[in-house]
Amino acid sequence: MAREQIIRLTVNGRSYERTVPVRLSLADFIREHLHLTGTHLGCEHGVCGACTVSMNGRSVRSCLILAVQADGAEIVTIEGLRAADGTRHPMQQAFLENFGLQCGYCTPGMLITAIELLRENPQPSEQDVREALSGNICRCTGYQAIVDSVLAVAQATPGVEK
Amino acid sequence: MSDARFVNQRAVGSPVLPDEAIPLVEGDGRFLNDIRLPGMYHVTFLRSQHAHARIRAVDTAKARALPGVVTVLTGKELLGKVEPFRSMPNRFSGGESVQHWLAVDKVRFCGEAICAVVAEDRATAEDAAELIVVDYEPLPVVTDPRLGEQDGAPLVHDSCPNNYLIKREYERGNVDEAFASAHLVVKRRFRIGRKQALCLEGRGCVAGYRESTFGLTLWISHQLPYVVRHYLANHLRMAENDIRVVVPHTGGGFGQKASIYPEEFICAYLALTLRRAVKWVEDRLENMVASTHARDQAIEVAAAVDREGRILALSSDVCVDVGAYSTYLWSAGMEPLQTAGLMPGPYKVPAMRYRTRGVATNKTPVGPYRAVGRPSASASLELLLDEVARRLEIDPVDVRQRNLIPIEAMPYRNANNLVHDNVNYLPCLKLAVAKSQYERLRAEQREARANGKLRGIGVACYAELTGLGTSTAVGPGTLLQPGRDAVTLRLETTGVLSIAAALPSQGQRIMTAMRQVACDELGISLDDITCVINDTAMAPYGFGTFASRTAVFGSGAVIQAAKELRRRILALGAHLLDVAIDEVTIVNSVIQTIDRSKKLAIREMAEKSYFSAKNIPPELNPGFEVTAFYDPKFGSFAGGAHIAVVDVDTQTGEVKIVRYVAAEDVGTIINPAVVEGQIIGGIAQGIGEALLEELVYDEAGQPRTITLADYLVPSALEIPRIELHHANTPSAALGGFKGCGEGSIIGALGAVACAVADALNRRGGDIHEFPATPERVLKGLGVLPGEV
Amino acid sequence: MKPAGFDYYAPRSLEEALRILGDAEREGRVLAGGQSLMPMLNCRLLSPEVLVDINRIEALNRMDVAKDSLTVGALVRHAHLLHDDGVRAGWPLLFEATKQVAHPAIRNRGTVCGSVAHNDPAAEHPSVLVTLDGTVVIAGAAGRRELPAEQFFTGILSTALQPGEMVVALRYPRAPTGTGAGFVEFARRLGDFAMGGAAATLTMRKGVCERARLTIVGMGEGPFRARAAEEVLTARRLSTDDCRDAFAEAAAKVTAAVEPANDVHASSSYRRHLAGVMTQRALEMALARAGAH
Repeated sequence: MAREQIIRLTVNGRSYERTVPVRLSLADFIREHLHLTGTHLGCEHGVCGACTVSMNGRSVRSCLILAVQADGAEIVTIEGLRAADGTRHPMQQAFLENFGLQCGYCTPGMLITAIELLRENPQPSEQDVREALSGNICRCTGYQAIVDSVLAVAQATPGVEK
Repeated sequence: MSDARFVNQRAVGSPVLPDEAIPLVEGDGRFLNDIRLPGMYHVTFLRSQHAHARIRAVDTAKARALPGVVTVLTGKELLGKVEPFRSMPNRFSGGESVQHWLAVDKVRFCGEAICAVVAEDRATAEDAAELIVVDYEPLPVVTDPRLGEQDGAPLVHDSCPNNYLIKREYERGNVDEAFASAHLVVKRRFRIGRKQALCLEGRGCVAGYRESTFGLTLWISHQLPYVVRHYLANHLRMAENDIRVVVPHTGGGFGQKASIYPEEFICAYLALTLRRAVKWVEDRLENMVASTHARDQAIEVAAAVDREGRILALSSDVCVDVGAYSTYLWSAGMEPLQTAGLMPGPYKVPAMRYRTRGVATNKTPVGPYRAVGRPSASASLELLLDEVARRLEIDPVDVRQRNLIPIEAMPYRNANNLVHDNVNYLPCLKLAVAKSQYERLRAEQREARANGKLRGIGVACYAELTGLGTSTAVGPGTLLQPGRDAVTLRLETTGVLSIAAALPSQGQRIMTAMRQVACDELGISLDDITCVINDTAMAPYGFGTFASRTAVFGSGAVIQAAKELRRRILALGAHLLDVAIDEVTIVNSVIQTIDRSKKLAIREMAEKSYFSAKNIPPELNPGFEVTAFYDPKFGSFAGGAHIAVVDVDTQTGEVKIVRYVAAEDVGTIINPAVVEGQIIGGIAQGIGEALLEELVYDEAGQPRTITLADYLVPSALEIPRIELHHANTPSAALGGFKGCGEGSIIGALGAVACAVADALNRRGGDIHEFPATPERVLKGLGVLPGEV
Repeated sequence: MKPAGFDYYAPRSLEEALRILGDAEREGRVLAGGQSLMPMLNCRLLSPEVLVDINRIEALNRMDVAKDSLTVGALVRHAHLLHDDGVRAGWPLLFEATKQVAHPAIRNRGTVCGSVAHNDPAAEHPSVLVTLDGTVVIAGAAGRRELPAEQFFTGILSTALQPGEMVVALRYPRAPTGTGAGFVEFARRLGDFAMGGAAATLTMRKGVCERARLTIVGMGEGPFRARAAEEVLTARRLSTDDCRDAFAEAAAKVTAAVEPANDVHASSSYRRHLAGVMTQRALEMALARAGAH
């Protein structure tokens, strides 16, 4: 019965080896087995975006990936955004300074998605930012402060001519 | 961020960065599902598949036998052991609704809990739930309140004739005469669909057995920890102080987490009987049916006006589909009584009459949700005022200006018996008009548009009664009267000031706000002030966070307590500095003489107070801990005016908001950035109400919108950049503060609804039903057949 | 919302995958991107006994841009298409449609073949495949077979796949020169399931439409090939100044022929109306782009 498997993966730069039920989602693995509870579950069907993490360099819905599928993968979660010396990632700092969060539940997904956006499009327009974040639901902020946080990071980063 | 930046030396009024947000942005939040206790069990609920049915039998044998399952609890097993929820007494109740924690003989809505399955992990519990066999005998279903209130309709509760859970008629002033003698009478119907708060985090709890000294510790995603404690003690027959209620980080509340629900109480019961910790996390599918719904109203409103468009009287008929039970705590009266009672809004209404009812149906019960009855009341009246304006051929702004209660007339008692004071509605309207360049907007609208889009402009003014003290009911007619909350201020041994209150935050930054107020009141640096708001073991009594009250209550109680604490600090400080008490003040955590020649750090004073007490005259060392209750007695009116500009695609029915201007009076602002976030967040939810959000049920009472792919909330693309302005007037409450959590959702529904109707009107169309989905818009335009 | 239990296999070869699938018969499901399958499992709308994860099969992770055709293997993600200049230049309809699939995180993981195999009526890829005269390459224990797109889609969430079979690749022929493409869809919010949409190509030569292809998205049964509308346009003189009548006629053919479904987002009468609007807009776009050649 293939209902449990051993997986080996890297999360936030640290290697892990664990035996997991095959039906366990990556989100639940990160949260329950690795005790990294910064990634949140808002819907478990891929719509709200709160569970978004980075897998092998790309943003994914961790609620729609089985932990066993992450064998061999490199995962980055919100806890892994800090620098080694504990300094916050510029995006985290910007969210803090621009009040880009209220209850904080959507924040993990917003950060991962926003960081990916700026990697692909370092000088986005406001419309670009809103479109990139349109798959991350926030119920508290009305998005404006989140958009301003992302634009603040873009503006602070040395310009790349579009 | 907006231009309304108050730059001054004081903490109040400054956009202080919230330290309380740091763990959240770093991924170190502790939300309910992050809590883990050793040996903890997991609970899931088997929920009814039928909207209305008798339960003939429940077979749990296979479920119990599944490895990993601890037990399965049924309603029959709870009978006699716990008291069911009887609807809260309300003066206007039609009848009593009794809700068993787990259904016993009957289920009355799809999603009603029938069994609680306890297992070693959630997945196993869900496996077991699938093995439970329920023998249902379907009963006739009530889904349309208009049909449900008729004689002979099936009854949801035998004790509620005509399915009325709440019913009231009210009249003040000579309404008939006003209508008879009016220059113009305009009637209009309005319908708003069913919605829900859609907190990104669902409900949940961890019930701990004998954690530290408490018999029961309940971690619960909730807005009212002390209220939960009170009812737990009541229902479980425990001493109140043997129960500790802790609210972890909470992912949204909006009123949905302000009711008392069966699930968490069942978990508490299970923890006590199993003598183990028990956890329940509400997943999204559950949340769609198990947590309270809102709105779902049909309103008919009529205005009698003079030839200037001034309201002589209002008459309204309100019918709310309140679902299967009168929710425990606030009762089914919330929406029906508030909608009808608050219809006048910020306008002078000399006479009014209403008939309102909450009709039970076989759907999820309706509970409080951001602004409760006010958005519907306001939107229906705003649409009506636009029609008055059209008929009298005056501008919608003019008709509002003529009717808004001016500050010169205040205090002004309206026909709904509410007294408006310390709020300035007209400057908000004028400011919104000026900043939006309203005249130009109308001129642009009049020009022919070649791009196939119809432009509409909506103006909505609103009043929001916030920070209600004991003299005004939050839940009209209920015997539950909040209105006094306490705060404790304490100097710790290191001189740090700690604030404790039972006012949990779901992102409103209550801790930061209270710290800012305390900083100004006491002269202690912000960095030397901490705050705890979520734990009955640490905070004095408070009703909790709801009804836009925490700024008023938290701050008011801080100010109250700070007065006494400051006196004590100065008294001991003066003694230690050997000066007269009127020669000292506190600046940046230092007690100092006015000429700054003598100084004593508060830290030093605190250490002496605690550790060198024998050297201090006892009357000067009474303890540096002060608890004060605050009751503002009345409420503080906030107000505002919103202007929305929309483009309607006449082929698809799509509505796009192209401009949004809001001018608000939110009293003295504590933290402008936090206020801005609250206002814009409320506008986003109002836009959701106006254009997107609707819970749909079919005729069998089956919910049709069961995932987030069906129930649509606005994303970043649906919310425009909001231009926010302020015309603030201090309230009469301590500090001049007002609440601002709910006003903007009122303005947004009104403004967007009016904008869409205005656009349709350009083509002789109209719309009365919201959300204004593309299909409803096309029907309103006559492109598709059908009434809307 | 935890899925029911299943046996999980992550074979490294297609042969092994097909063997397991074959043995599982109706109880086996292919897990590729998982963006459609996992929500159903989490909601317990589906509880397959066997999950065959094909993400380890390197041979399926291939996309070939050739002179005459584009071949998209089973593991090619939506995002993969969007990052390829060859696809953008050579198959603009496919590129445009893929941009509108859900949101970035979904596109990073979801696969084009998976979308086709799932055949949600509101999905973009099935209709694009039909409009582009694509081919579905199917593999099973018995071997490979190929089906033209139109024969592959058999009804709502249904395809011609037999138990034990899976889609291993899609092939899109390159459009003839002079072809312009237009993809439009209308959803309640960007990235939501479309209430209606249209995938159109017009091949123009000297102002005359040599070939028209039009498929309607979101009508309820899967991609709807609007043949009657195509006939109205074929051999017709069209220019951006003079196309309104022709496109209105085409739209009328569409609204007369579709039999759309009712759901919480839209009634059948709204969808029928929308189909006509989407038709006109897609055709206008296609014509404008054909002129750009």
